[in-house]
Amino acid sequence: MIEKATGIDRTATVILLLGMAFVLAPLVIAFVTATQSYQQFVQAGGIRFRISGHFLDNIRLIITETQLPRQLWNSFVISLLVAAIKCAFAFTATFALVFFENRMNRVIFAVTIATVMLPLELVVITTYQIVANVLMPVNWIVKATGIDWLADRIAGVRVPELRLNLLDTYIGIAAPIATSCTSVFIYRQFFLTLPRDLPRAAAMDGAGPLRFMVDILLPLSWTPLIATFMFWFIGGWTSYLWPLIAASTPDAQPAVVGLAKLATTDPERIPEVPMLMTGALFVSIIPVTLIAVMQRQIVRGMNLSEK
Amino acid sequence: MVRRYCKAGKMRQGFYVGRVTYAMLVAPILVLIFLFFYVPVGLAFFWSFFLERPFGGGSQFVGMQNFSRVLSDPVYWEALRRTVVFMIIAPGLAIGISLVLALAADRGLRLSQAARNIVIWPKAVAGASIGVVFVFIFNPFLGIFSPINDLFPGLWNPRIDGNDAFATIVVAQVWNGIPFNFVILLSGLQAIPDMLVKSAAMDGAGSWRRILDIQLPLLTPQLFLTFVLEFVGTVVEAFGLIDTMTQGGPGEATTLLIYKIYVDGFKAYDLSGAATQTVLLMIFVIVMVLLQFRLEKHVKYER
Repeated sequence: MIEKATGIDRTATVILLLGMAFVLAPLVIAFVTATQSYQQFVQAGGIRFRISGHFLDNIRLIITETQLPRQLWNSFVISLLVAAIKCAFAFTATFALVFFENRMNRVIFAVTIATVMLPLELVVITTYQIVANVLMPVNWIVKATGIDWLADRIAGVRVPELRLNLLDTYIGIAAPIATSCTSVFIYRQFFLTLPRDLPRAAAMDGAGPLRFMVDILLPLSWTPLIATFMFWFIGGWTSYLWPLIAASTPDAQPAVVGLAKLATTDPERIPEVPMLMTGALFVSIIPVTLIAVMQRQIVRGMNLSEK
Repeated sequence: MVRRYCKAGKMRQGFYVGRVTYAMLVAPILVLIFLFFYVPVGLAFFWSFFLERPFGGGSQFVGMQNFSRVLSDPVYWEALRRTVVFMIIAPGLAIGISLVLALAADRGLRLSQAARNIVIWPKAVAGASIGVVFVFIFNPFLGIFSPINDLFPGLWNPRIDGNDAFATIVVAQVWNGIPFNFVILLSGLQAIPDMLVKSAAMDGAGSWRRILDIQLPLLTPQLFLTFVLEFVGTVVEAFGLIDTMTQGGPGEATTLLIYKIYVDGFKAYDLSGAATQTVLLMIFVIVMVLLQFRLEKHVKYER
């Protein structure tokens, strides 16, 4: 506090209260409605700010009548995969970029960072085709190099069209989401702040690059690693467009997609609003709790690039 | 033992040089982004010059026909116009509100801690999930505006009035967009050295003056960053909201480009048209980002 500034502090307090109110309003409305039964809701003829006692009934309804519990598990696995791939691949690659002397450093850095510019959602049309057959590029190479022609000529073998469909699988949904390489940027900023003598000292003690990475760099990097892991986990959880098209069966869909499918009902009928609101809270509670509890770690870890 | 030591110590000026290890370390990420990023992007460009039939029905080279077909379609230009309007309004509001909130939270009041935590919650809520909630809140007969509709029937109806529908998407997008901008701007504010603010105070600059003349100018890099990220983000993030709240309607009032691509590609099976629009949208995004980076050169960052 520099000087006493009651006026501006009072304004700031009001602003913060308004901001929190704006953020909380939809969540509170969802919760209040989720405590009402469908009959109460229809009788009241819409939104009513009265907490009633049917929240657990609605939860039971969600668990027994919908696919959301299973889809919650899907979300969990997919988000875990996204976060793990993003962190692990970026970690080893960034280690190589910062601590190795190699002519390819610049190219690889540019190639990875360019992925940040175009979000996956832009290219879902063709990503779908690739995930429907991840061996498609191999087929192209076989065709382009004339291997199929050679095989036919020399051995009389037809090279089969290779097929591997990853749609509706966890890895097929998670991998394209994990392509955005923002982590490379964050880890690079962090690695560059470490003393240059660190790998030298490790080498004197007889540690090779891999040992240095696992035993020295990894323990030093927990803060940014955990922060980015949480962040990408939440990112995987909240992604929608890609899982919507990559998972065609309810069994493979993540919870957010499942909820959206529940919500598209007959417009003529009053929708099962209390159940939907319960569902919206049900699919959001894990990531929101995560961010509420880990807020400090996430923000600090992500901000290392700024300092 | 001696051999192992030599192998481990294979360095040049503090950098490792082993080529095989290097390749092993970068291979996973390169395979991943090649397969699931560069191949799809390349394929989109490729398809935009071919007439692709759905269900593997073969393809035929058509040159620029796809482009002329898409670009001569007034529906496409309408969607582009709406996307641009959306890209101006939603990030503008989201960044403006986040900036005010960040300035307030930076004052270290008793409320600041709670606010810093709660304001970032929307980051963890999927657009499609909150869309389900907002569509109920804004429902003309069941939602918060239903009393107004009882008094003036038809004043608010996002199912019929395109502007109302557009407004609901904007509000939802702003709600979802606040946390990220807030975090970036607040961390920027807190990185401003105390010394600067204090010396300005000694020179007699009041709180408001300091915000205008010191904090805001020093916040330019973060403001710039939020604009770049928000512009790219809003192009795609609105999809979850549109799909759950309006399905692009009424009419086509909320059909932004990203939604149109989805409908054309996965509902109408016009793969070439969708790929062509994808290419155009990618070019649009890249141009926007590059423009903003050019702009950045004119902004001074000296601290």
